[in-house]
Amino acid sequence: MKVSYNELQGLCRKAFSGMEFEEGEAADAADMVAWMQCHGLEGLNALGRGLDHLLREDPNQLTSILYNDGDLAVLDGHGQSVLRASSLAVELGFAKARARGLAIIKIRRCHNRQLIMGYLSRLAGRGMNVTAFWRNAQMPLTEQVVGFRANSTVPEIRVYAVHEVPEENEPNDGITLILANHVDLLPAMRSDYHYEVLARQSESDLLACRERAFAEGIEVDDALWQRLKTLATRILVEASDASRDGAGAGTRDND
Amino acid sequence: MHDLDSQPRVRPFLRPAEQVMELERLGSLHASRLSFVRSLVRQMARQRWQVSCSRFDLDDNGHGTAIYRVQTPHGRYHEVIFSQPLSDEARSDRVIAEAWDVTFGLVEGDVDESLLEQMAANVPLQEAGRQHPRLLVLSRANRSLRNFSHFTQALAEGRQPDPTWLTKVGYLYRTTAVYGNGKFGIADFARLQDSPDFKRPFSAQMLAVYLLRHFSIAQVEHIAQVQAPQAAVTMDPELRRYLGIGNSTGLGMAPFLINHPKLIQQWVHCREQALGLAIDQPPCEADRARLIELTRRALAHLEQTVTENVEQGERNAATVAALPEVVTWLEQVPLDPDMWQQLMAWGERTLPLEAQELINTLLIELYPLQVDALEDHMGADERMELVPDMALVRLKQLIETHYDWALAEDYDAPEACYWFWYRSAEKEEPRLGVRYTEPGQEKEMPLAMAPRVRKAHETLSRFLEDNPRALVVEFLMANPRHKEIVRRIQAMADTPYGEIRANLWHRDMKPMHLLRTKLSFFGASRFDPKSDRWVRITLFQGAPLVEELNAEPSNLADFDDWSFPLEPRVNGMPMTDELAVQQG
Repeated sequence: MKVSYNELQGLCRKAFSGMEFEEGEAADAADMVAWMQCHGLEGLNALGRGLDHLLREDPNQLTSILYNDGDLAVLDGHGQSVLRASSLAVELGFAKARARGLAIIKIRRCHNRQLIMGYLSRLAGRGMNVTAFWRNAQMPLTEQVVGFRANSTVPEIRVYAVHEVPEENEPNDGITLILANHVDLLPAMRSDYHYEVLARQSESDLLACRERAFAEGIEVDDALWQRLKTLATRILVEASDASRDGAGAGTRDND
Repeated sequence: MHDLDSQPRVRPFLRPAEQVMELERLGSLHASRLSFVRSLVRQMARQRWQVSCSRFDLDDNGHGTAIYRVQTPHGRYHEVIFSQPLSDEARSDRVIAEAWDVTFGLVEGDVDESLLEQMAANVPLQEAGRQHPRLLVLSRANRSLRNFSHFTQALAEGRQPDPTWLTKVGYLYRTTAVYGNGKFGIADFARLQDSPDFKRPFSAQMLAVYLLRHFSIAQVEHIAQVQAPQAAVTMDPELRRYLGIGNSTGLGMAPFLINHPKLIQQWVHCREQALGLAIDQPPCEADRARLIELTRRALAHLEQTVTENVEQGERNAATVAALPEVVTWLEQVPLDPDMWQQLMAWGERTLPLEAQELINTLLIELYPLQVDALEDHMGADERMELVPDMALVRLKQLIETHYDWALAEDYDAPEACYWFWYRSAEKEEPRLGVRYTEPGQEKEMPLAMAPRVRKAHETLSRFLEDNPRALVVEFLMANPRHKEIVRRIQAMADTPYGEIRANLWHRDMKPMHLLRTKLSFFGASRFDPKSDRWVRITLFQGAPLVEELNAEPSNLADFDDWSFPLEPRVNGMPMTDELAVQQG
C-alpha cells in the first residue's frame, strides 16, 4: 500500500513510543526511518529487519562514553539500534566540531547502522559537513560511505566491496563519524587497496526519489505496516464510560 | 498584494508574552482580518479565482455527486462532493462516527473517471479509506436537520426561509473534521509549501469548506426545485451570504496548539504586530467613525449570537454590555494622535477580556494597508534542533528567564496535577482523565509542557552542581529523557508567543480556551460551547458568494468587509416568514 510521508512519520513515532522510546527519541527515530524511506533508502526494510532486536533492547540502557577528549570520543552503544543510541552521540560530535573545527566519533557495538543517515541529514542542514562509514562483516567485506555537504539535505553514498582486507581487520559493528565545519568530506576513491563499487547514489538521485515520494506516496509493506500499527496501539487507553463521557459531542447530534 | 518587506521598517509596540499568552486571554480572541477565512477570500478576489460546477449529478433527494472546478492563476483544483442518505441515528459529531451526510475532497489538478471511481470508493469511508495522494483535503459534514428541512420547504413553497433560523444555527452543514497534511494517504503539507495558492496555513482546508458552503446552497435549491418545479424560488442573495458552514470541534484540536509552538508563535506574533501597527496610527475622523460603525456591528452580531452555554452566554452578555461604553468613549475622547493607545489602555482597565480582544480585532480591521501583508507571514519552518554545544548554565538561565511561569507551580499539589491527557483507543482521540482516579495514567501524553520544564530544570540544576562547565549534550547523554523538552526550550526561548502559559494539568484549566485560540485564527464566529470540551462554531457566515467572486469584484475593500455578519433585513425590515410570504 501507499502512504504519505506524514503518515509514515506519525505511525513510526507512535510505534517507537509503544516500544518505550522517550518522546524526543521516538520523534527522532521516526524522522530517521521516514527520511530514509522517502529518499528510496529502504528505511522501513531496515526497521523491519531490526524490529525484533529493538523489542528486546533495554530502554534504560544508556550509550556510555569509553574515551572522550576535545576532538575525539569513543562510545559504546551496547549493541542497541542506532535509532535508540545514536542521536546524542552524533550531537556530541557536532558540539566538538563546532568548538574545534573537526571531530571524530566512533560508536562501537551498534545495530541498524544505515538508519543513522536520517539523523546526519539534520546535522548537515545545520551547516556541518558529515561523513559516516562502516564495514559489514559479510564476504566479501563491504564498506559503506555516506557524505553530506554542509547545508545539503541529501548525501552522496557509496558501497564498496573490499577485496584486499587488511590483516588487522576486526569484526566491525561500529560506525565512524567525521564532522568538519569547513571541509567537504564526500566519498572518493583514492586508496591503493582494491575496491569495487557495489552501489552509488548521488545527491540528485536521492532528491528525485524524494520528489516522487511526495507526489505519488510512499510504498510500504502491508505486513510491516500492520505490525507498526499494533505497536502503536500500546500508547492508547482502552475506551471506557469515563473516556466517552469526556469526549465531547454525543453519538447522535441532530440539530 | 502588499509587500511587508518593501515597507519602512517599523517596530510597533508588542504586548508582553505574559499578557498575550495567558490561556484565558487566548480563549477570548475573536476572528480578525488576518484569520484564515478572511485572507483566503481576499486572495481569491485579488487573484481572480474562478469557480465553476463541472458535475451536479444529484437525485431528487439531493444525493449523488457534485464536482466544482477552481481555476487560479497558478493551477486548477476540483472539489468532489459525495452526498448520501444517512439515518438520523447515525448522525454524530464525534470523530468516531462512520458515516456522514456528505463527504468530500479537494483535488489538485483534474479528476478523470478513474480518480473519481477511486474517490467514490474511499472518500465516503474517510479514515477507513485509502485516499489518493492528489487529495489536498479530506472532510465530511452532517446536515443541520432543522435548517435543512426549513430551507427546502420554504424554497419549495416559493418563499424565503426565515433568517432567524440561521441566527440560531448559521449553516446547513456542519463539518466534524477537515483533514490535510498527509492524513490517510492524502498529500503532505510539504507539497503545498511552495504552492502560490496554498502556502498559507490551512488555506486549502478553508477553500474546501468554502466550496461546501456553495454546494449546500445549490443542493437545497435543487431539492426545492424537484419538489415544486412551478413554485420553488432560489434563495435571496442576502440570505445566501448569511449562510455559513458549521464546525464541531473537541479535544482533538488541543494537542495541535501545544505541538506546533513555532507556528503558534507566528500566528500570535503576526496578530500582535498587526495590533501594534494599528495602535501606532494617528487616527482621523473617518477612522474614528469607522471604528464606531464596526463596534456597533460587532455589538449587534453578539446580541444575535445564540448559545445555551451559560458561561459563554455570560461572556457574550458582558461584552454586549460593555460595548456601548466603548462607543461613548470613542465619541467623546479628543482625536489625539495616540488615541488608539489610549483606547487600549482604557480598555485594559475597564473592559472584560472578550471585549478588550474584540476592540483589538476591530482596530486591526481599520488598517488593511498596514496589516494585510502579515497574512503572508503566518507560516513557519517548524523544525526544532538541539544546540548541543550550549553551556548548560546558559540553558538554566534561559529557563529561568523565559519559562519562569512554568517554574512557579508546585506540580505535586493535588489541584496542580489534577488532569492527565491521554489517547483513547477510539480513533486515537485525545481525552482528559482525572489523575489517580481514571485508568490510563501510565500512558499519559506528554502535552503539559510546564511540568516537563520544571522537571528538566531540577535535574539540570543538580547536574550542574557536579559539572559546572558541562555542555547541554553532556547533560543529555546522562539524562536523555529530557532531550525533547531541552530542544524545545532552546528553540522557543527567543520566540515569546509560542508557549501557552498554562499548566495543562491544573484542575482549573479550561480546554475550551485552547479550542477557541485555534478557531479564532481560522476565522470562526458564533462560538457555541456544548460543554467545556467541545464547541460548535460557524465559518464563512457573511462571506461573499461564489457568484460574486466569479464576477471579479472591482472594490476589494468592500468585498472584504464581511466580519461580524448581521441577520439580513429587507427594505429595513426583518426578513421574517410573514414578510417573505407577503412578498411571494
